[in-house]
Amino acid sequence: MAREVNWERNHDPVGIWNGRGKAALVARGHSPTDRRWDGESLDKSLGAFMMIAVQNALDDAGITIDDVDGIIGSAGGQGNGQPLSDVWGPRPYFDAPYDSEDGLTHVTGQWLRQQMGFKNLRYINNHGDPVWNLIGQASQAIADGRAEVVVVTYPNGNLPGRYHQDPSNQARGPAVWPNTWGWGLSGQGFTFNQYCQKYGTNHDRMAPFVVQERKNGLLWEHSYYAQHEPGEFTEEDYLNGRMIARDLSIFDCDRPVLAAAAYVMVSADRAKDMKQKPVYILDHTESQFSPRSLVQTIDDTEEWTDIQAQRSYNGSGLKPEDIDIFAPYDGFAVFTQYYIEAFGWRGVKRGEAHDFYAGDISLKGPNPLNSGGGNMGTGRMRTVFITDPLEQLQGRAGDRQVTTKAEVAVTHGVLPITAGTVVMSTSPD
Amino acid sequence: MAILLSFDIDGTLELGDPPGGVTTEMVRKARDVGFIIGSCSDKPLSVQRKIWEDMELTPAFVSAKHQLGKVRRENPADAYYHMGDRDTDYMAAKDNNFGFWWAHEAAEQPWLEFDMNNHEQIPITT
Repeated sequence: MAREVNWERNHDPVGIWNGRGKAALVARGHSPTDRRWDGESLDKSLGAFMMIAVQNALDDAGITIDDVDGIIGSAGGQGNGQPLSDVWGPRPYFDAPYDSEDGLTHVTGQWLRQQMGFKNLRYINNHGDPVWNLIGQASQAIADGRAEVVVVTYPNGNLPGRYHQDPSNQARGPAVWPNTWGWGLSGQGFTFNQYCQKYGTNHDRMAPFVVQERKNGLLWEHSYYAQHEPGEFTEEDYLNGRMIARDLSIFDCDRPVLAAAAYVMVSADRAKDMKQKPVYILDHTESQFSPRSLVQTIDDTEEWTDIQAQRSYNGSGLKPEDIDIFAPYDGFAVFTQYYIEAFGWRGVKRGEAHDFYAGDISLKGPNPLNSGGGNMGTGRMRTVFITDPLEQLQGRAGDRQVTTKAEVAVTHGVLPITAGTVVMSTSPD
Repeated sequence: MAILLSFDIDGTLELGDPPGGVTTEMVRKARDVGFIIGSCSDKPLSVQRKIWEDMELTPAFVSAKHQLGKVRRENPADAYYHMGDRDTDYMAAKDNNFGFWWAHEAAEQPWLEFDMNNHEQIPITT
């Protein structure tokens, strides 16, 4: 299937979305969360985990496979279906259905259809991007009438061995600058260092934020830490983290894990009959930028995130004070302040995020930032950024349920350079 | 004769992620023989302490991997050794004048070859 184009809302002015309130997110399902695949246990492969997650999502929605007429997924968690982790091959594969990468390091809708027996699909798309974009794409497909009951799939793998280690001994083109210093890390540290210089702050002031996220994550049953490392992460832990680039510590980086999640999205009409309370999609917007130079700067970052925030506000008609639940991405923890400041959540302006972190961002306080714990608190799954806002708005977040109003949520990720924003509400209006 | 052994955790100890070849029993034996034992790892300090609790051993120190120099300053000894599975372990050991064993070498318990009463036999670095 060719990549579907022109579904994104990424050209200003976007205007109020004509699909507003026509699609709803109703249910979620998760697999177990492991640190990595062992390379042998096929019942713990990414494909096996994806099937568990899909079945759990269907059960949560109170529907069967026969009700589903669409699957939208990012086969491997990244753009163009690329694996978020590394690939298994070239190595010997296994007997069918594990005789290729499909089912091991990525999971396509076609593979799921074959293994799970979906019979009534009329729409399959595997070319999605990070999970925010997938929710946006599914919302658009439903609003456009191309499907009525869509399962959104999001698998994230992690294999034995080093993570994202570039085997090449050469760096060409723009890669000559960052790659000689390690995968993707030095650039993030560089931008954050510029942020610190611009606003007179420093790395240690991130500690309250990361520590709070780890606390929140321990309350999410699917978190890697809740399942495998349930101890408290302290400020002492954070401040003693090894710096792996200037102004970027090992504890600013999310921990790669193996997990899969699935979501059931339906038309507003079908939402009325679902087992769970519907959460309506008020807007989705997307963005893609290019740096002015070889390396992303703080000026780029602030310009891009300002555009992302304004685009979302224009598309939803909301204002900062309308956002109850805010879930800005934190795959590198140093991303998050750019988003908070751009969206102006809780009145935070440029350069003020670290002061905000030093205040009360606790789960039961007035500013429950990333109430699900983000990637820092759950592992590199990204799906907590959908599941937690969904559960908060449905009022079934359990111990994580915030005490503030939870009627409108905005979730945003993945990178400043390319992102999707989804606006959810308990009301379709 | 005081000799300090610093254990990396992930990829080195059997309780690490991934597990390494140095068993809890090997660590216990090193302590019983008289070595000063502790861990230097990228794991959070709180997690390192929990691992020592799980091993039912009391370490002389727990430290971040890049703080081997602090371990040296705070733990007087005649010789210092670190063991681990990554280049970062090797570099940290080298930078702080620790002897070093790769994790697979450490699983052979080379420290048991030392004559604790003969200072001359014990190399300060490897």
